Amino acid sequence: MKEMTQIQDVSRFDRIIDRYERSEESLLAILQDFQREFHYVPEEGIRRLSEVMGVPASKIYAMGTFYKALSLTPRGRHTIKVCTGTACHLKGAPQILETLERELRVKRNGTTEDGEFTLECVNCVGACAMAPVTLVDEVYHGKTRPSKVMDIVRKQVEG
Amino acid sequence: MEKISVVIDGRTFEAEKDTCVLEVARRNGIYIPSLCYNSEVTSSGGSCRVCLVEAHQGGRMRLVTSCNYPVRKGLEVKTDTPLVHRIRRGVLELLLARVPDSEVIREMAAAEGVTEVRFRKDEGENERYKCIACALCVNVCAEVVGVHAIAMVERGADKKPATPYNKPSDVCIGCGACAYACPTGAIELKEKDGVRRIWHKDFKMVRCSVCGTPYIPEAQVDWIVSKTGKDRSFFDKCPDHRF
Ligand code: SF4
Ligand code: FES
Ligand code: FES
Repeated sequence: MKEMTQIQDVSRFDRIIDRYERSEESLLAILQDFQREFHYVPEEGIRRLSEVMGVPASKIYAMGTFYKALSLTPRGRHTIKVCTGTACHLKGAPQILETLERELRVKRNGTTEDGEFTLECVNCVGACAMAPVTLVDEVYHGKTRPSKVMDIVRKQVEG
Repeated sequence: MEKISVVIDGRTFEAEKDTCVLEVARRNGIYIPSLCYNSEVTSSGGSCRVCLVEAHQGGRMRLVTSCNYPVRKGLEVKTDTPLVHRIRRGVLELLLARVPDSEVIREMAAAEGVTEVRFRKDEGENERYKCIACALCVNVCAEVVGVHAIAMVERGADKKPATPYNKPSDVCIGCGACAYACPTGAIELKEKDGVRRIWHKDFKMVRCSVCGTPYIPEAQVDWIVSKTGKDRSFFDKCPDHRF
């Protein structure tokens, strides 16, 4: 049984790897696809990629730790980023963060138990004029208020 | 190879063009502090910055790292000026703040008169304890050994050498070349009862058939045999009893 799942596991990585040329240049794009598909870069994915590409696992793992866009631990289906840069901080980011932590029952940089949300802090997303800024799956929401932030999140993820 | 002459601290030396300044200085008995450079490792150097010197060329002066600065015609190097020492003290103060527990760094800093730091110190048995993140170990593993068991992971202040997921690596052969090359002794290598432990992994050692000393990991013998086709029996005896 264990073997079965393992074989299946490998094929879900191979499907992605096969879309690319067998060259070191493809590595980052493949890792990004892993991230999109699984919401993180799984260890078995890195090991399989190393095997198929003939690139040391140490190198691929190092890439995984280097890029902010890649996560090596499982993440939620949706990512909420609260900007806590200087401008947003002054305009009330801490309250927004607290509200989200309370309502979603998750700590910053954590993932909710149901795997639905990952909550993160980021430093200045370059939209200070809209402070405080909250990003839901990379969509910018400016001038967010604690009382409204959960509505914004729900509205967006429920489509 | 083209020979040129280069002036270091007022003395003229012959050297092959493009040899690094540090190398020429070393060969001629001129001491320049260095940490991350190893003459056997092409990809080493340029990271710790303690080897900086004044390079005068074409009427201009630049502070350069001597371990990767090539000697060319008309180059004059000064290793012992007030500027060199002032900047080096700054570099050492930062290194000392990062790894205050490293004897090597403490000594090198003290030699320049630096014993205290103005920055927050990073002390204790943290994950990268004595490591200055110079990557020499990683370069040795990749370039000299050829197994790529470790890489520099994370970024910025958290950067450090590690195996994937900090787990025992499936390619590491336990040779210990990384630990040997590390300028600050930051890599732990322990040996007990014929077993070597390094990078979270245990390696069974081969014992010399004459003196009984465990002297090389079995995995390293496997690696050498597979790479060079050398006869296995060659490793029955340690280098002291081989011939
Ligand atoms: S462990 Fe040693 S060789 Fe490796 S990066 Fe750290 S200081 Fe450099
Ligand atoms: S501080 Fe939040 S966008 Fe600049
Ligand atoms: S020895 Fe030259 S930068 Fe480290």
